[in-house]
Amino acid sequence: MLDLPLGDLSNALFNAAFITYLVAMVLAFARLAFTRVGVGGAPLTTRGAGLWAGRGATALAIVGAAVHLGSIVTRGLAAGHVPWSNMYEYSSFLAFGTVVVGLVVVQRRLGYGHLMGFVLALAILSMTSALLLFTEPTPLVPSLQSWWINVHTSAAMGASTIFIIGFMATALYLVKRTAERRVGISGTGAAPTKPAGADTAPAEPGAGEPTLREDGEGFDDFVTDSDDPHDAATDPLAQRDALSPVTFPGLPFLLVSLYAFWVWGSPVVALLAGSVAALLGISVWYAVPKLPPSDKLDQLAYRMTAFAFPIWTFAVIAGALWAQEAWGRYWGWDPKETGSFFTWVLYAGYLHARSTRGWRGTRAAWLGVAAFIALAVTYYAVNLFVVGLHSYAGV
Amino acid sequence: MTTAPPRPPRTDARAERLPEIPGPGETVVLLWRRLRRMSTALYLLLALAAVSIVATFVPQEPVIPTTVADWRAGIEGPGAEVAAGLDALGLFDIYGSWWFATLVVLLFVSLTGCLIPRVRGFVRQARRAPAPGQNLGRLTHHRTVDSPLPPDQAVAAAATTLRRRRLRTRVRPAEGSPTGNAQVAAERGHAREGGSIAFHLSFYLLAAGAMVGVWFGFESQVNVVEGESFADTPVGYDSYEPGRFFGQGDHDGFTVELDEFAAEYHPGQDTGDGPQSSLIASEFASRISVHEGDEVAAQGTVAVNEPFHHGATSIYQIRFGFAPELTVRTEGGTELHADTTNLIESDDLVWTGVAAVERTDVDNQIALDLALLPDATVEGGRLTSASNEPDDPLLAVSVWYGSLGLERNRPAAEFDREAGTRLDESLLLEPGETGSLDALPLEVTFEGLPYWSGFQVAQEPGHGLLLAGAGLLLVGLVPSLFAYRRRVWVDAAPAAHGGSHVTLAGVARQRAETFAEAWPDLADALTTAVDGRDEPADQTTDDARPGSHDPTGETR
Ligand code: HEM
Repeated sequence: MLDLPLGDLSNALFNAAFITYLVAMVLAFARLAFTRVGVGGAPLTTRGAGLWAGRGATALAIVGAAVHLGSIVTRGLAAGHVPWSNMYEYSSFLAFGTVVVGLVVVQRRLGYGHLMGFVLALAILSMTSALLLFTEPTPLVPSLQSWWINVHTSAAMGASTIFIIGFMATALYLVKRTAERRVGISGTGAAPTKPAGADTAPAEPGAGEPTLREDGEGFDDFVTDSDDPHDAATDPLAQRDALSPVTFPGLPFLLVSLYAFWVWGSPVVALLAGSVAALLGISVWYAVPKLPPSDKLDQLAYRMTAFAFPIWTFAVIAGALWAQEAWGRYWGWDPKETGSFFTWVLYAGYLHARSTRGWRGTRAAWLGVAAFIALAVTYYAVNLFVVGLHSYAGV
Repeated sequence: MTTAPPRPPRTDARAERLPEIPGPGETVVLLWRRLRRMSTALYLLLALAAVSIVATFVPQEPVIPTTVADWRAGIEGPGAEVAAGLDALGLFDIYGSWWFATLVVLLFVSLTGCLIPRVRGFVRQARRAPAPGQNLGRLTHHRTVDSPLPPDQAVAAAATTLRRRRLRTRVRPAEGSPTGNAQVAAERGHAREGGSIAFHLSFYLLAAGAMVGVWFGFESQVNVVEGESFADTPVGYDSYEPGRFFGQGDHDGFTVELDEFAAEYHPGQDTGDGPQSSLIASEFASRISVHEGDEVAAQGTVAVNEPFHHGATSIYQIRFGFAPELTVRTEGGTELHADTTNLIESDDLVWTGVAAVERTDVDNQIALDLALLPDATVEGGRLTSASNEPDDPLLAVSVWYGSLGLERNRPAAEFDREAGTRLDESLLLEPGETGSLDALPLEVTFEGLPYWSGFQVAQEPGHGLLLAGAGLLLVGLVPSLFAYRRRVWVDAAPAAHGGSHVTLAGVARQRAETFAEAWPDLADALTTAVDGRDEPADQTTDDARPGSHDPTGETR
């Protein structure tokens, strides 16, 4: 049943995809570097080398994703069951999903191709964690042999990949918004002008309906003559100067290297991991003027999260149904269950916050970040460090 | 005093409401108002989240009691002192604690407080016809067109188009309209609020379902050896937890016999540092017969992911193990013990348990410490088990005697090892083999090796409610996130030539971007409609260009 040569093929394809993504990421960042900022609201422009780097990045990302799909499929064939039954397989699939969602939504739909470097970086991080958690394909324990594994796990992973893109947008939003605020651009992050204390929307033409509530999106779209926040944009490069070139690489370096040292106890690994984090940090700093305006990023974050949330909800419900079949109880506050619930509540909190006065904008975004961290913790920490019924799904 | 500048109007509603010293009635009103606020709901949600993260990392007694015991004893976790503190706060059973219940109740009060006005508003709004519009030129999306049709006809034509696009419309003649022109107002997107309300209402169903299950059901576990039975009565189970309102008479009262148990294992495989797949049972299942009185009422299989339902009761396959059958006789042939002992896998591929042989004579009791190797082989001079497949079972028996405390009503495995004495010699038996001891006049026969099978047996009312709640939750959630409210007006003023000046305007309450994308198409359709011609009019002024200030429209 276990066909190891196929498993080896899967590993080889995994490695090939990994390297392809790496090169694609470097090219995508090169494209970002060659992208010129338009002044006074003019569009970004990419010419010459940047254009070619961008094309190369896109092509390689697509090739990488295709190879990666091959790795996932052969893995499934090798194990004789769906290729998402342990942490290695989850992480691999997540990386694949991230690249696909990034290509389709971020690049194709929204035209933010110059952000693909960040998407690929997240995918590569997920693949790195897959490598660290590698296990040979194994048969499924009986409780995993269920039709529900397809439903529950694929929904959870589908939602997670979209949450990853949402997280990227949220994090970039926070950075961009901070920069904008420092150079004096007002944005939708600020509470819209409305009488405080009333939970009703301002009168809309011909209708003073008190039951209409303000909403996360579009509240400011009632009237055309609202201030366009980006008229105030002076030189976008000033946004970069408003952020510290020390903190951006420094803080990630510190946190990640300390964490790596704590986990692996090796200064070399710590230094390496820290440097990668620092590199990512400094590229965010560098990219700030080239990022879409904060309200666009906020919108992307909201859309991704709102899209993934029902899928996640469905995954949790399917999980409960499955637990009922397998263990005779639909919910037992097992750590994994608790963690998913926690994540769910935080994401619900984020969705609420975006339509709550005093919370929308950066505060809501921080909730979004917290929700994503909860997702990651539920994903990794609960499987790795906490004992519960789900632990067999372990490493 | 009068010279003081007038204070700016206070907009903080809370400060306005606060009386000097609120009386009890006012306090309740204040609390109620407070609980109805969205930000309060948000804080409650966050508190719920905080609680559940604690519960993720602090072991919960109902889930893993052994780990909690280890934490309390300081064997595991942060130490006994910290554990005592955690215990005092009820953190080992968060979901059973009073403050968790309080939190949930507050959340539901808040939810109710939010929902009452929302439902009322929703009903009012869903009934009301689309409101007329004024100052249409100030809206985000608007367009003016000249129509050859007179105002009433232009508006009627537009209304048809709008209805075809599934907007609710209300046509107002010039007299009834605030603009003084004939006008059609249209709207769509109530599904958003309706869905959101359905979503929030689903929490009541979920809570009701959970409560019905906890109060009117029971949950129990029982281990049975092949060929034996258990009865569906409170004393028939090894552990038994009836709901508060679950009475004895609510049991179905059948008897279940375990006819046969079968387990299959994955073939052994060297997986490097991965899990040894030979450890993993690939399948295990129990064949059972349900007896009611003298009759066999049902027969079937219970397996993981394949529960067995009989009457209101469900039987789940949870675990299994080996149950060696031993007979112990004195040298004279008197039978002291003939029974099976349930073993559990205490170490990889080693199954252990204790058989209590003699309990009546308090000072002279006998217990057997059992260790089973299902697939015994000698490897490097050591006896080990190659797998869990019972191909070559070998049972090691060591004998304890003395005042072992077996008369206490405790599991045999917890006999008093301090007070007893262990014989130096031990027996190694294969099935069918009899061994005798030198130091004691005893003979032990390893009669056979059946399995025991562990079931969870439960009555779980409320599942219908839970399913309905889960369904409503999903069905409501999707439109509450993706539907959006938008309104469209078509206003026609009479023009000199007998036709009319038509203003098209639209506004979206949510998803402004989506609406901006849809607007040109809608506006074109309306233009065609009021024009009476097939081609869209070319002298239109379209004032909304979606994304016109997005500086990322990069050359690609
Ligand atoms: C039991 C916990 C709750 C959960 C999990 C929850 C979840 C949600 C979700 C996922 C949404 C959709 C967000 C959106 O449409 O953008 C929502 C909307 C909403 N919730 Fe809750 N909710 C809960 C309790 C409450 C409570 C107690 C209130 C009242 C204070 C409330 C008031 C609202 C309102 C007013 C909306 C509409 C916001 C909008 O459509 O923009 N919710 N809720």
